Amino acid sequence: MSTMVLSRLRPGEGGAFRLFASQEALLAFAIIGIAILVGLYNPRFLATRNLADIVLGNAYIAVAAIGMSMVIVSGNIDISVGSLIGVLATISGSLAVAGVPIILVWLTPLVVGLLVMMLQGAVIAYLRIPAIVVTLGMLSILKGGLISVTGGRWITDLPQSFHLADIELFGILPMPVLIMVAATILAALWMRYSASGRAIYATGGNAEAARLCGVSPRRTVVMVFALHGLFAGIAALLFATQLKVIQSTVPPNLELTVITAAVVGGVSILGGVGTVVGSTLAAVLIAEIASALVFINVSPYWIHAVQGILILVTVVADILRRRRRQVGG
Amino acid sequence: MAVLAPEVRSAAPRWLIRHETLLAAILVAALAILGLFNERFLTIDNLLNQGRLMTEVGLLALPMTFIIITGGIDLSVGSIVGLCAIMLGYSWKNLGFPLPLAIAFAIGVGGVAGFVNGLLITRVRVPPLIMTIATLALYRGLAEGISQARSVRNYPEWFFFTGQGEWLGVPVQLWILLVGIIVAGITLDRTTFGRTLYAIGNNETAARFSGLPVDRVKLVVYTLSGLAAGLSAWVLVSRVTTTRSDMGSGYELDVIAAVVLGGTSIFGGVGTIWGTVVGLVMIQLLKNGLALTGVKGDATIIVIGAVLIASTLIASSLHGRREVAG
Amino acid sequence: MKQSMKHRMMKTAALVILGVTMAGGAAVAADKWDGGDDLPTSPLACDAGPSAAAAAKPYDGGQTTGAPDKAGKPITLVDVPKLIGIGYFNATSKGMQDAAKEIGNVKVTTDGPTEAKIDEQIKFIDNYITRGVDGILFAANDPVAIAPVLKKALSKGIHVVGYDANSQPDARQWFINQAEFNGIAKAMVDAMAKEAGEDKGFAIVTSTFTTPNQARWIAEMSAYAAKCHPKLKWLETVEAQEDNVLSFSQATTLINKYGDKLSGLFGMTSVATPASAEAVTKAGLCGKLAVVGLATPNAMKPYVNAGCVKSVVLWNPVDLGYAATYVMRAVVDGKLKPGATSVDAGKLGKLNVINGSEILLGSPFIFTKDNIKDFDF
Repeated sequence: MSTMVLSRLRPGEGGAFRLFASQEALLAFAIIGIAILVGLYNPRFLATRNLADIVLGNAYIAVAAIGMSMVIVSGNIDISVGSLIGVLATISGSLAVAGVPIILVWLTPLVVGLLVMMLQGAVIAYLRIPAIVVTLGMLSILKGGLISVTGGRWITDLPQSFHLADIELFGILPMPVLIMVAATILAALWMRYSASGRAIYATGGNAEAARLCGVSPRRTVVMVFALHGLFAGIAALLFATQLKVIQSTVPPNLELTVITAAVVGGVSILGGVGTVVGSTLAAVLIAEIASALVFINVSPYWIHAVQGILILVTVVADILRRRRRQVGG
Repeated sequence: MAVLAPEVRSAAPRWLIRHETLLAAILVAALAILGLFNERFLTIDNLLNQGRLMTEVGLLALPMTFIIITGGIDLSVGSIVGLCAIMLGYSWKNLGFPLPLAIAFAIGVGGVAGFVNGLLITRVRVPPLIMTIATLALYRGLAEGISQARSVRNYPEWFFFTGQGEWLGVPVQLWILLVGIIVAGITLDRTTFGRTLYAIGNNETAARFSGLPVDRVKLVVYTLSGLAAGLSAWVLVSRVTTTRSDMGSGYELDVIAAVVLGGTSIFGGVGTIWGTVVGLVMIQLLKNGLALTGVKGDATIIVIGAVLIASTLIASSLHGRREVAG
Repeated sequence: MKQSMKHRMMKTAALVILGVTMAGGAAVAADKWDGGDDLPTSPLACDAGPSAAAAAKPYDGGQTTGAPDKAGKPITLVDVPKLIGIGYFNATSKGMQDAAKEIGNVKVTTDGPTEAKIDEQIKFIDNYITRGVDGILFAANDPVAIAPVLKKALSKGIHVVGYDANSQPDARQWFINQAEFNGIAKAMVDAMAKEAGEDKGFAIVTSTFTTPNQARWIAEMSAYAAKCHPKLKWLETVEAQEDNVLSFSQATTLINKYGDKLSGLFGMTSVATPASAEAVTKAGLCGKLAVVGLATPNAMKPYVNAGCVKSVVLWNPVDLGYAATYVMRAVVDGKLKPGATSVDAGKLGKLNVINGSEILLGSPFIFTKDNIKDFDF
């Protein structure tokens, strides 16, 4: 069932439940709710600086989750994105240190990311190898390749102009937030209103039916992975330009975090359902929770357990919500 | 998962047997080549040692095969191993259980963890991928919290027999794995339970309407996965003589690689234990052979990744499997 | 309806668990700092000055069985650090290569896991045992878990020498200790007290609570601070793996959480310290919030030169790798035997044996604005 953002409410559904009718609304409510609750415990949580830091530091996850959501909606999965981001960050940093013009330094990861992912998409679509196999294999290839080529050397002499994430447009809009919001809105509109965007939902929902309707599932999959690679490239830029040092390693567990953001955002692993607005909100929520747990003094030994429970609760709540709606409550 | 073109896949079609045979042939060829490069590779000593080292992942790969055949997945196995390892130490040291009871308790905890996975997957209908991603985090977190980052060590001598000992010249844990393989293989191939797994993977709705106890079977396989993780944890703790909350981390990918390499389809309905064993052995011996030949760690990972993709490509293209892309 | 009841039940359950954890976390008396282990500590004297030499311990290292006599002959060594791909172990590796070139008949290869996992490290070592090397140099991810495979190496006649992170003494012949745990603790805490203030609050960014070296340092720092700087207030310890971005994120969260109450940050790994310094810089608190930690000079140059960080505590990891190689050569040549009190380590001169089978590199080295430009690693 393809349920779109706008067609959620049915006549007759009343009361406060209307607010919770969509996962996006639920997430937004959770973000605000947690902020208020934690703010009561420790007002410093609500300081502009802190809220800004939470979003700025994690915008790259939201951007990567946009691409991942598209991949999952199309009925596939990708576990190589973490390794790819590590590789792209290193490429970008190395070019910067070598004195390459900044525009090229920023564009190269996008192009390389797009090409690498498109290759995977082609192998999945045309060579009929399951996504989990291809991306699992690619994860290893990228990880090993990165260490092989760099020897694990850190990149330390980055030029000042490299730091895209520090730029503030017109002096007030930080680039990471700008890019995250713009990418989300553009992707959401594209998926909702354009033919190729809706083709993704069709492919994920029922590929055979989609084919019969004139959608080419194979071309759609390749396109989706290409876009995913583009977003991974943007995410890599935001990731790499935050700090003065680039570790030439793969950030640990990044792919799991991105998948979690997409899934908590309402994307269904069965394909065909979900929005990128949801995944962006989920990425923000996950980052907020990580910070919140420190602010409310959860014992550091139990932080991961609490995070696991929260993910579980969110996911179960989403499933129950969907089932309630289907049954017609 | 995307809907597949209507293609009947029965429990053990002839072409499937050929996939494993093909893989086994690739394996033998690879071993021969690596054996040429390094004389210490194909020695009994080394091969038995590799068998010892692959047991922990191997035990997990058996129920994982069952799970993937039903069209599900379990990403939390590594975390369950960590949790069970911690519970083994914790119940022995902090709760004062006698060590044999602690071992049984730890395995039991694994079963419960798997049961919880299965329960929420069958009753609440949480998709397995999502459920087990969540429990991957949760169980690891429980291991960290309960252990408070302390290790438990100084076990009695007899405890190390499982992980470091030998019986009739073969490492003890390898015997355990062999028994597991035989039991799993027979179950999958010869019992109604096994056939039910294939039925569920092929078409769950039809299986349900045929009156098969789909939910109960699924619950069982996820619980088995948890129990296997507990067993694996016991072997691991015995082998390295200590407990750590990060034990088992990353195992899930190794297990899935072995199962998928062995011909089990991620879409469900297809797969054999024999294939998983070949996949398991192939990855282990490939890593070992490459290391002995002087290939360093980073290059080895690249080769394994490439082999995974290439083998699946070769095997699937030779059988012209028709699956609508998606 | 059944589903919404389940929904509500789960929500309540989650909140209860959350509440209990919070209460539990707060209830734990913070006598010892989070992240420390529970082994006995031995804080040094509070005043400056070398500590009294500890009473000599009898040799407690392991021995090889049937090692071939390779005195004076070319040997092949393998170095298996905790993980590859971080500046610190790149530096130790470089030191080993320098020593190998100087000695002339030593060949060292560095190979190891890409993540700090003990199970991977064991498998690496195991493969090299099968391959047949003359000696293994290691930095252990876990002192007890690594013991069985090291003992296997010893039993096959392979020499085993550790550096940076020790194993159980009987699993290796010698261990190069960069600096005593309590010495490092003293240097760090003294620096923090001086830069932040005697009665100020500080937090710690470490890798994980299960990393043995870090846990030892934190425990020793806790004991030393209780003894010599009792008014220093420990606020919190956070984990950040060995990841740059995560360390930065955690440090930023701490700065935001405590505001003025936080006057100092300890970075316990070569990754955490530059990331914490960056967090302080980004927050505009350079000079107001002290950052003290272990790190390699190159990563810290921008911050030290900007005055954000006054002192970086370390030892010279290049020297550490260098010494380890010389010690291994001496062991193979039979020049370093159990019971020895010192060993010749090339350009480092004579290094002393302490604690039975440990060889001390020296005192912790402090990198400051004046000397940091002289180092390149």
